[in-house]
Amino acid sequence: MIATRVISAAALALVSALPPVAIRPFVRGSWQQIRREHAGRPAIVHFWGLTCAPCLAELPQWGRLLAEQRGTDLVFVAADAVPEEPAHVSSMLTKAALSTAENWMFADHFVDRLVFEVDPEWQGELPITILLARDGTTSKIVGTVDFAAIRAWIDRHAR
Amino acid sequence: MSTTTRSRRQHVVSAAVLLLLTTTVPRDRLTAQQSHDHDSGLRADPAGCTDATLSCASYATPFFDRTGRLWLAWSGNGHVGVSVSTDRARSFAPPVLVTREAVRLDNGPDERPQVVVDGEGRVAVAFAIFKDDRMNGQIFTAASVDGGRSFGAPRPITDDGSSQRFVTLNVDPDGTLFAAWIDKRHVVAARAAGTDFAGASLAVARSHDGGARFDVARIAKDNICECCRLAVAPAGAGRPAVVFRNIFGGERDHAVITFAADGTPGPVSRVSEDHWAIDACPHHGPSLAIADDGSYHVAWFSGGGVRQGAFYARSTDGGRSFSTPVPLADTGHRSTRPYVRTQGSDVWLAWKEFDGERTSVLSRVSHDRGTTWGPARIIAGTSDFSDHPILTGDGRQVYLSWLTRLEGYRLIPLTLLGESR
Repeated sequence: MIATRVISAAALALVSALPPVAIRPFVRGSWQQIRREHAGRPAIVHFWGLTCAPCLAELPQWGRLLAEQRGTDLVFVAADAVPEEPAHVSSMLTKAALSTAENWMFADHFVDRLVFEVDPEWQGELPITILLARDGTTSKIVGTVDFAAIRAWIDRHAR
Repeated sequence: MSTTTRSRRQHVVSAAVLLLLTTTVPRDRLTAQQSHDHDSGLRADPAGCTDATLSCASYATPFFDRTGRLWLAWSGNGHVGVSVSTDRARSFAPPVLVTREAVRLDNGPDERPQVVVDGEGRVAVAFAIFKDDRMNGQIFTAASVDGGRSFGAPRPITDDGSSQRFVTLNVDPDGTLFAAWIDKRHVVAARAAGTDFAGASLAVARSHDGGARFDVARIAKDNICECCRLAVAPAGAGRPAVVFRNIFGGERDHAVITFAADGTPGPVSRVSEDHWAIDACPHHGPSLAIADDGSYHVAWFSGGGVRQGAFYARSTDGGRSFSTPVPLADTGHRSTRPYVRTQGSDVWLAWKEFDGERTSVLSRVSHDRGTTWGPARIIAGTSDFSDHPILTGDGRQVYLSWLTRLEGYRLIPLTLLGESR
């Protein structure tokens, strides 16, 4: 593993002063846009939320995976049912060492429709992770993930 | 089977009326704190609905008091508001903000503010905020002794410093208030001891003064889902029953506990064997009603295992065993957000279905305490954001209480839908 980023208490106090994390608004059609932008490459899209405790506990492990640069696109979508303040989402991403990742957040109050566009079977439970293979096939993991299995998937699909 | 029936008496509170109602509240207290990212156009409320009125709220919770007045508590844009209607939601008194200043509301998908009125007319409100950037929650209660015209300053429901969310307030038949919530004090203790702790705990407390103060909290059950609302109904005076999403091993299925009159939690009974193994937040809690004959009626959502969608089951032995789950929706329809309410021997169910564009609320009724069921009927719909459907009642009839962004707040009497009796 390259560098596990440790954010000290002092650094956390400075989080609000850091440059804002680039977060793209996830609105109607964004899911298909993500699919298009990553077409032909393996990608992992992770949906998390500030109001989801298991998500926040797991998020730093996604930060470590990002730092490994294993050769797969990683996309993160903050999917809270009531859109949260971007500053709060940004702060959490920074703490999890995900500030440089491709980040989106739900930015349409009609959340049911956003969720349906991603997967009609999804009812908004978090976290969920969607694995997009090079050939466009998808698989879905509901709940926290087994990172060993995720790394194995990446190593298998990134070749 | 999907007969569409439009209510002739849908009471729609328009945004314009609500804006007029708020003119007595200083504007600067109505505006929630907003931060805008001008580069991306991201805002906390992309619709631009940024005031503290009911029409801009995300969640609204109803309560009929003993005199037949409808109370509503709503949350949105950093505030919790309360208003009362004496004409079944045709009009509302000027709203009162319980929050003194904009707060960071817990906006979890299954979170909602609570309002109840005890036997002496005292109004109590409860809500949860996020108190820090680690998203730890804190529950506050506020009480009114002047009929809801003013509220005391919100006070923490417990002095425990860990995290509390998903409070539900209920008036016990004995007149006291019973609060139940999801509490993380045992999670924090386990972490300090270096041990694992799945989920969170079910905490309860009573208030004997209309909600101004609550007794010391009691932890009734460990290892329950940390992000699904609780459902409470009285099994008798001083004997509330609580249905919650339990963690059975790794399976987040539902269970019920009935409390004894001395406050002791009874045994845990499993409502259903859905076997939904998930280490995640379903954000999808149950609903419970107890009929006049003591039968328990539970509606819930399962997203995996042996069944998916909204289901119903009943217990005729005081919550010790439950009937085989029955799906609410017709085959092929994805049903969510179920709610159950009893009225005499009638049992009403309501739930949501979404087709990608339009959300419908559907309902079924049983006139024999849940033994046989009528057909599913569409009773309301919307094509934009909507709160969960809630069934409420004034002792004479059952209503759908539903807040939608386009139509506003609606209170729809279910017994006026032409149901043949």
